[in-house]
Amino acid sequence: MTTEAPGRAQVLSTEQHGDFETKLMRINVGPVHPATHGVLRLVIDMDGERIVRLKPRIGYLHTGFEKTMENRTWQQVVTYTNRMDYAHSMGHDLAYVLAAEKLLDARVPERAQRVRVLLTELNRIASHLIFLGTGLLDMGALTPFFYTMRERETIFDILEMVTGVRMNYGYFRVGGLSKDLPDGFEEAVQAFIDDFPSKLDQYQALYAKNDIWLNRVKGAGVISRETALEHALTGPSARASGVNLDFRKAKPYSGYEDYDFDVPVREEGDAHARLTMRVLEMEQSLRIVQQALNRLEPGPIRDPDRRISLPPRHELETSMEAVIFHFKLVTEGFHPPKGEVYVPTESARGELGYYLVSDGGSMPYRVKVRTPSLPNLQSLEPMCIDGMFADMIVNIATVDPVMGDVDK
Amino acid sequence: MPLKDLFEKDFQELERDGILFTTLSKLVAWGRSNSLYPVTFGLACCALEMMQSTNARNDMARFGSEVFRASPRQADVMIVAGRLSKKMAPVMRRVYEQMPEPKWVISMGACASSGGMFNNYAIVQNVDSVVPVDIYVPGCPPRPEALIYAVMQLQKKVRGEAFDQNGVQLPMVEGWSRP
Amino acid sequence: MSAPTGAPSVAETIATELVERMQGQRSERFDQTHVTLPAARIREAVRHARAGGLEHLSDVMGIDWLEYPGHQGPRFTVVYNLYSLRDASRLMLRVNVDEDQPVPSITPQWTGAGFFEREVYDLFGIEFEGHPDLRKLVTPDDLDGHPLRKDFPLGETPTLFGDGRFLDPASFRAGMMGQDRGRTGWVGGARKGVRSEQGKGEGGEA
Repeated sequence: MTTEAPGRAQVLSTEQHGDFETKLMRINVGPVHPATHGVLRLVIDMDGERIVRLKPRIGYLHTGFEKTMENRTWQQVVTYTNRMDYAHSMGHDLAYVLAAEKLLDARVPERAQRVRVLLTELNRIASHLIFLGTGLLDMGALTPFFYTMRERETIFDILEMVTGVRMNYGYFRVGGLSKDLPDGFEEAVQAFIDDFPSKLDQYQALYAKNDIWLNRVKGAGVISRETALEHALTGPSARASGVNLDFRKAKPYSGYEDYDFDVPVREEGDAHARLTMRVLEMEQSLRIVQQALNRLEPGPIRDPDRRISLPPRHELETSMEAVIFHFKLVTEGFHPPKGEVYVPTESARGELGYYLVSDGGSMPYRVKVRTPSLPNLQSLEPMCIDGMFADMIVNIATVDPVMGDVDK
Repeated sequence: MPLKDLFEKDFQELERDGILFTTLSKLVAWGRSNSLYPVTFGLACCALEMMQSTNARNDMARFGSEVFRASPRQADVMIVAGRLSKKMAPVMRRVYEQMPEPKWVISMGACASSGGMFNNYAIVQNVDSVVPVDIYVPGCPPRPEALIYAVMQLQKKVRGEAFDQNGVQLPMVEGWSRP
Repeated sequence: MSAPTGAPSVAETIATELVERMQGQRSERFDQTHVTLPAARIREAVRHARAGGLEHLSDVMGIDWLEYPGHQGPRFTVVYNLYSLRDASRLMLRVNVDEDQPVPSITPQWTGAGFFEREVYDLFGIEFEGHPDLRKLVTPDDLDGHPLRKDFPLGETPTLFGDGRFLDPASFRAGMMGQDRGRTGWVGGARKGVRSEQGKGEGGEA
């Protein structure tokens, strides 16, 4: 039995059952495949239609983020953080700026925190919409994809109004936000909030009671709570198996302790639970968005500490210190104290945290991104073993890996 | 008008003047340009914008890209959407070689066109070193409108109406191969 | 979710036990407890921590101290990031290793560490003894070396275009600073303020 991944399917062994001969085959799935979410490669051993062994092979999107971040100033790193998990990009921005602010002991003003929460939750809804659309597309339902993409366009319009780009926003800064909210923002968000619950019902009407779909996802890829913890699974997939872990409640950050929302937890651990989990999470995210919108009050958006944020322009005419701070910040950037810090946050996929090591310089010494999709992929094995190939497609869709997150 | 000539002139006249074949070639090129099926080659963030360009608001299907074929054998154009890592480059070359002629490549986004913001050991700095690129689309990620504009430019190129940066007219795609 | 006041958290208890029984050394970094252990005791320590309530393995990561100012001691550190679901407390276990020194793998007892340890091996070259499948994870097979080590170069290469044009990163940056025109011929003024070509004397905001 070879251990090398094949270029084409290999027959590993054959068995005779009377007149019937079965073959154990090693098949390659991906990296170019319509149903693997990105460039994921799986080498599976199949006995007929049943999967006997599954090994993911990753690295086809390895970008060297961590090495590149060691060569950029602390503020420039924000450009890179959102390209990792491109579906929930603000989650990465938020995790990084929280860690850097903990290193610097920065005081982020209330308004900045509330805007951060609002936009991150909107982005979370957008990420779950991709999950729903492409997940159902993988299972053969072509229509819900267009419906969810329509809502994504609305969210993109709102986020473009604020940040200037539709995706990969570098809007957060260490110390606050880069610029303030525009006029018309609150009306746009309120319109979205009023409209979205009916849209969620529209999606449910398309698939939720469909017998074919229910037969496909109920009971597929069951993992128990112990298996989930054994494989370091986090996020909605873990909560569908009974692991009650959500860092927004467990270790609240950026003001999450003030918001009133639930964290749904299920016990079944099958694909149906994982899918409905994310739909419920969208509803809860909408609640947070409404509460954050109601609490928005005018105020500063950046930490006034001159060592972190640029001084306002009018001060440069009168104050020499302001000019010196401005010069230092623009040419070098700020210098956090030496040390190591780790702040966990909850991204749409699970636990996301940036472990920052600072050597007192203007660039990070080491940035380790604890991305949720990498260990989540490990749980694919217990989910798919002894299941059928079609169930594997469902399981990949419900684990919801984003390959930028996996390979970094 | 060449199409009118097709119905008015004699067959021998058409063949001698080369009109028949050029007209047919133009017809085939027009047909090819209006049904460019992309192969699903979404790598990273640009793939999401590529998906957005097929949604109801920016509908790329009205430009002929009705479906994204998963099999390269049934596709005309490869839209390289996302950063190409060095591990993925041989895979991409294989998919490109599996596509039948005539085929085109659109390099979507800054990372595919020039390495983008990633200039390091892991990312191929220009997809052109792996496959011959016809259209480059800047952006990080490019808006769906930009991708649709790129597809329109490619359509012009297929029909022979496009000019490169030096003003030289690019040739129309061959209607069929002549032995 | 947090421990009742007065009772030490799960991480605290485990940290104290590790310090007492397994030659651990405790350090506090930005409100986070770290316990440094000798490499030989890591398996026992992780087993003990898991049994004591640190049920979630967040991460296994490596740090290369080669260019850290004022660092003495072994070159690498492997940090095990453990979390307790009971009271939301976190403990980091550290193992300091030298260049060719292997670390016992915790994958046989905790499957979730499989990908983490493979990534550390791939990017740093630290070997994990007893790992069932220790091979490269993210880098291509033909890449020799371990990219995240400090002596591995970043690998900036120029961008080549088919018609012979050439984007060289270093001179591109010089062009952006306004110092010279660089290879692309574009002079930026990003730091000094941009002057428009049409109206001389029209200064701009940086």
